[in-house]
Amino acid sequence: MQLQNVTILCFFASYTGALILELTQFLRQSRVLLWSSIALTAAGLFAQTIYLVERSRQTELPPLLASTQDWVLVSAWLAVAFYLGIKAWDRSLSMGVFVLPLALLLVASSRYVSDQPNPRVAISYQWSMVHASFWVFGIFGVLLALVISVMYLLQHNRLKHKKAELPALHLLSLERLNRLNWWLIVTSVPLLTLGMITGLWMSYLSAGSEQPVSLINVAFVANALIWIAMTFLFGWLLVAKNATGRLVAWRTVLACLFLLVTLLTIKFLSADSIHARDLV
Amino acid sequence: MNVQVVYCNHQTADLNLRERLAFPSADHVVRAYDELQVRFPKSEYVVISTCNRVELYTAQEDPADKPSHADLVQFFSDFHQVPKTEFFNDFLERQGPEAVRHLFKVASSIDSMVLGETQIVSQIKSAYELSTETSANGPLTHALFQRALAVSGRVRTETKLSEGRVSIASVAVGDFGKSIFDRFDDKTVLILGAGEMASETLTYLKDEGVKRIIVCNRSFERAQKLASEYSGEAREWNRLQESLSVADVIVSTTGAERPILSVDEFRLIRKKTGPRPIFILDLGAPRDVESGVSKIDDGIFLYNIDDLEATCEKNRKKRASAIAKANSIIEEETEKFMHEIYHKATGPIIKQLREHWHEISRQELEILFRKLPELDERQRESVEKTIQRVVNKLLHPPLETLRDEARTGPPTGMLKTLKQLFQIKE
Repeated sequence: MQLQNVTILCFFASYTGALILELTQFLRQSRVLLWSSIALTAAGLFAQTIYLVERSRQTELPPLLASTQDWVLVSAWLAVAFYLGIKAWDRSLSMGVFVLPLALLLVASSRYVSDQPNPRVAISYQWSMVHASFWVFGIFGVLLALVISVMYLLQHNRLKHKKAELPALHLLSLERLNRLNWWLIVTSVPLLTLGMITGLWMSYLSAGSEQPVSLINVAFVANALIWIAMTFLFGWLLVAKNATGRLVAWRTVLACLFLLVTLLTIKFLSADSIHARDLV
Repeated sequence: MNVQVVYCNHQTADLNLRERLAFPSADHVVRAYDELQVRFPKSEYVVISTCNRVELYTAQEDPADKPSHADLVQFFSDFHQVPKTEFFNDFLERQGPEAVRHLFKVASSIDSMVLGETQIVSQIKSAYELSTETSANGPLTHALFQRALAVSGRVRTETKLSEGRVSIASVAVGDFGKSIFDRFDDKTVLILGAGEMASETLTYLKDEGVKRIIVCNRSFERAQKLASEYSGEAREWNRLQESLSVADVIVSTTGAERPILSVDEFRLIRKKTGPRPIFILDLGAPRDVESGVSKIDDGIFLYNIDDLEATCEKNRKKRASAIAKANSIIEEETEKFMHEIYHKATGPIIKQLREHWHEISRQELEILFRKLPELDERQRESVEKTIQRVVNKLLHPPLETLRDEARTGPPTGMLKTLKQLFQIKE
C-alpha cells in the first residue's frame, strides 16, 4: 500500500470502531472485544502517524508547523498515544470511553480547518516551533484535565449515590483524579502562558517583515481570552483553601469546554488570521 | 416436635425497619427471653440479632404448643413498640425443615450480605451461648444450633465460599474506600466501638496499609485492648469530637440505640476541618450516624450496611457455582437432621412399646414355667427365645411403618395411634 493513500478517514474509522467496541463492554464484558478495541486504536494511531509523517514530508515542515489541520491532528495523536500508554500501564482502567470521543472530535474537526502551510514560519523557524509546542502541549494538558474532570464527576456521582462500580467503568480514585487534575492545570497554564509570550515575541519579530502580524484580530483576542480563563482557574487552584474536588472538576470542565469551543469556532470560521495562510 | 423461625433480614426489610426490631445488646435479648418465657412457656428460644438480621428461633416438643406467626409478631411489636402493620409483611416465618434449612444457610453465610463472611459464625455462637446461660434454649434448639455450626464448618471446608472479600469492611473499603482514596498509609482511621466488627475492620485496614489508628469506645479498657492489638491509640469517649476532626476514615460499629453522630455536630466539625474527603462506614444497627450527615458537603461519603447490597450482589453472581455446591450440602444436612429429630421423637414410644410387650411375654412365661416344672433349663431357654422371636416379629411391621413415616416428616398421627392402641402413657 502506498503511504500517500492513508487518509484521515482511515484512522477516523479505526478510532470509531475502537470506541464502539469499548462501548460494547457496558453490555457484555469480553476480553476479545477489549483487545480488539486496543488493536483498532493502535492501528488507527499507526495510520495517523504515517499520515502526519507523509504530510510533514510533503510540506517540508514538522507537523506542528505544517498547518492548522496538522496541528489539530497532532493534538488527537497525543491523546490517543496517551490512552494507549495508560492501557499498557493498567488495562482495567476505562479511559477509552473518554479519550476516544475527544480524539474523534479533533480528527473530525481537522476536516474543516485550513490544511495550508503557515506562511509565517519563515520569520523564525525556531520560535515558531517553540511557540507551537507550548500551545499544543498546553492545550493537550487542558484537554486531559477535561477528561480527568469528567471522570472525577462520574466517580463522585457514583460514590455519593452509593452505586456499585460498573465493571466496564473502572475509574481512578477521587484522590488521584483530583491530584492529576490539579497538576495538569498547574502545568498546562504556564505552557499556555509561554505560548502567549512566544506568540507576542514572534509578532514583534514580524513587525519588520513582509507579513507583519497585527494583534488586533479575532484570533488573538480569542486566544487571549482562553489564556485569561485558564489563568484564573490556575490562580484559584493555587489560592483556594476550601475547594472541594468536585468544584475543581466542574470549573475545569467549564474552562476546558470554553477553550475547546473557542478554538474550534475560530478555526471553523477561518478567523485565525495569525496561523492561517489567508489573511482576514 | 417442631422448629420455627420468624425473621427479617437484609433481603426482606431495609435497615430502617431492622434497626427498630434489633436487640442491640445482650441485656435486650435477656429481657426478650424473660418476656417470651412468660408468653410461651413450653417453647425453647434463640435470638440472633446482627446488623443484617433479626431472627427468633423457637422449638417445641409438641407442635400444638407452638406460637403462631401472629403471636410472635405481636411479641416483637410489644417489645419494640413498633406497630405490627409496619413490619408484618416483612417478617417471615419458616417451620420444620424450612426453618432448619434457613438456619444452616445463615450459619454458612449463604444468606449473608457478604457471601462467605465468617463473623456470622461467632454471632450465632454468642446467641446460642446467651440462650444457654439464660436457659432459654432446650434439647431441640441445642441439637439444631450444634448442627448448624457443624454444617457451617463443612460448607466452608468443602466449597470456595470463604475465598476473596469475605467481610463487610473488605467490601466497603474495596468498592467505595478505594474509589475515594488512592492509598491508606497516610490516612487516619477512627474506629468507634471495640467489638468483633471493629476488630475485623481493623484487620482489613491494616492489610491495606493503614498506619494511624484511633480507637474510641465508651469502655476505655476495651478501646485500649483493641488499640494495642493493632498498634493504635485508644481515646476516651469524651474526646470523640477531637478524634472526628482528625479522621479521614471513620468506621462506626457501636451497639448504641441512637445515632452517636448528629448532623449538627458534624457540621461544626466540618467547619473546622474544611471539605476534605472523609469516608464514613456506619456498620451499626441501629445506625450510629444520622443519614443527613452525607448531605453536609461534597467531601463526605457515608455508607451503611444496606448501601453495600448492590456490590455484594455483584460478588454473589460471580460465585454462583460455590453457592450451588453449598446449597446441596445444606440440603443433604437438613434432610439428615430432620430424619434424626423425627427418629428421636419415635424413640421413647418404640422403647415403651417393646418394654411393654416383652414384659407381658415375661409374665406369661413365668406362668407357663410354673405350670410345667418338668421343663429343664435348655427347654425353658428354647421357649423363651421362641416367644421373644414372636414378640419381635409382631412388633416389626408397626415399628417399621413408624420409621418409614419418620423419614418423610414428623409421625405425629402414627405415634398418637400407637399410644391409643397400646395404651402407652408418657
